[in-house]
Amino acid sequence: MYKIEAIIRPHRLEAVRESLKEHEIIGITVSECRGAGNQSAPTHTFRGSQYHSGLELRTRIEVYVTDAQLEEAISAIQAAATTGEVGDGKILVFKAEQAVRIRTNERGETAIS
Amino acid sequence: MNAIRTLLSYKERNYRATPKRELSKAEKIKLFATVLSGKMIALAIMAFVIKLFTGFMEPAHAADTFTAHETTIMNSINTAWTLVAAFLVFGMQAGFVLLEAGFARQKETVNVLMECIFDTCLCGFLFWAIGYAFMFSHGNGFVGTHWFFLNGAPDTYEATGIPILAHWIFQFAFADTCSTVTSGAMIGRTGFRGDILYSIGVTGFIYPIIGHWAWGPDGFLATMGTDKNFLPTLGQGFRDFAGSTVVHTIGGAVSLAGSMVLGPRLGRIFARDDKARGGMPPPHNLTIAAVGGFILWFGWYGFNPGSSLSAMDMQGIGRISANTTLAACAGGMMAMIVAFLFGNTKGKFDLGFSVNGMLAGLVAITCPCYWVSPLGSILIGLVAGVLVYIGVNFLEWCRIDDPVGAVSVHGFCGIWGTWSLGLFATGQYGATGPTGPDNSASQLVKGLFYGGGMDVLKAQVIGNVIITVGTFVVAFVMMWVIRKLPHPYNLRVEEAGELGQGGLDVFEHGIEAYPPQTAY
Repeated sequence: MYKIEAIIRPHRLEAVRESLKEHEIIGITVSECRGAGNQSAPTHTFRGSQYHSGLELRTRIEVYVTDAQLEEAISAIQAAATTGEVGDGKILVFKAEQAVRIRTNERGETAIS
Repeated sequence: MNAIRTLLSYKERNYRATPKRELSKAEKIKLFATVLSGKMIALAIMAFVIKLFTGFMEPAHAADTFTAHETTIMNSINTAWTLVAAFLVFGMQAGFVLLEAGFARQKETVNVLMECIFDTCLCGFLFWAIGYAFMFSHGNGFVGTHWFFLNGAPDTYEATGIPILAHWIFQFAFADTCSTVTSGAMIGRTGFRGDILYSIGVTGFIYPIIGHWAWGPDGFLATMGTDKNFLPTLGQGFRDFAGSTVVHTIGGAVSLAGSMVLGPRLGRIFARDDKARGGMPPPHNLTIAAVGGFILWFGWYGFNPGSSLSAMDMQGIGRISANTTLAACAGGMMAMIVAFLFGNTKGKFDLGFSVNGMLAGLVAITCPCYWVSPLGSILIGLVAGVLVYIGVNFLEWCRIDDPVGAVSVHGFCGIWGTWSLGLFATGQYGATGPTGPDNSASQLVKGLFYGGGMDVLKAQVIGNVIITVGTFVVAFVMMWVIRKLPHPYNLRVEEAGELGQGGLDVFEHGIEAYPPQTAY
């Protein structure tokens, strides 16, 4: 069992979800976030002033996958989220200790599938 | 019995308290003369009072001889009325900004706000320089050729008695409305330089020149049906009281041309391509969209009643206001019901359709508002409510991306409103005028449903079709040319502008609508 956390461009979200669905990974948590990386963040301008918040708008997705799904999930996200420009984001994989489905108290991989 | 007798005797005594004295003949004559002269004076005063007040109460047109003083007072009242209406119509800009921003996605909000503000500023300048001259000066049937930069314009406009600049600001507000309608259909993918270019075309040339056909003093549709003019055998001119055709159909036709030439926003999926995910992207703020709809409705009370340019036509402006209200109510209600019964919104009370239905009713009643009855207005509004639902779905089916529904609301319902005059005109009302209504037989407008035959309907359809087709062709060519220009002057923004960081807002304007807050 793994947790995959990916930071992607907001407008790639639909494509990433589509490609995950093809691998029957439906459950997903999505949040809007701002962050900084290697790319140059845009400068905001307003009434003669410039603002360097230095933070770009990104979308963070979290999915939980079984051991067997891990590689195909990673490659699906990677293929769908890429634009080739600096700032496409990261995919991080964490080992998940335990999973519990709250409604049924199922444990382990059956809880996330 | 005793008591009664006492009472009677008491009364008798009292009655006889002043002893009756015989009057001499001379005294009798004197008394009669006094009473008679008193009566005569009272009668004379009464007659004078009646005369005085009926002078106020009778329709002003009954007497053709007004003193200079009376004329000045009437013109002042008419001017104040027109100016109040002009300010209300200008207030519709606030409604448009809110409605369009609310229906837009968050990343194109600053862009649509900016377009409305820029269009307003540009429109004022252009309408002063050339727009008013093209539209309202004398020239030929197609275009006015005098009063450029308002040079040589007379003190008052035609026979209205309204000062030329008061008429100018009223008509400027209308022109501005027309240009702002267009921006709503082109949200989210129009480059700002492209927006500047097409706005110059719409507010400087398309709206004034085509508007001249119907509203200019010698426009060929305005004079249609009279001797030695366009279609003399028709016997009816083209009527558009407040602009279902001139403002809204022109705005709608330009919108349609613009959104067709632009193509849909990137990533927009249409309902017929993908049942599950297709459809309009979700709006970003329905609260301000609903508020915008109501502000537009409020502004319409200047748009329709103010178009009489005359507060002397009391019956007229009262009737127009009531008709405007009823059509809006019917439109909003009907759109909600239709959306509740059919399609993807089945079983839901849809806000977007209701707001657009309200506006559809208002657009439709704009042309016939003076000539129809309250029941007629309700029927016109009901049809408009259905039309806006069909229109939105039809455009979706045609894969035309119109984020706010401008083509359905202003285009389709503008056409319906103009035609509806030929069906619902009651035949009781004629023309408005600076001293009151002119309900002489030659001026009365009677539609098909009231036994007036096909004449008015024919005139309305001919005028409307000429203007719709003319506008669409010219606008399509103009948009297509701007679409072929090199970036950044192209009508459509580069792909980076749509998909880049912060979307169109940051790309064109350097800031998001709700920017990240800094620590200080």
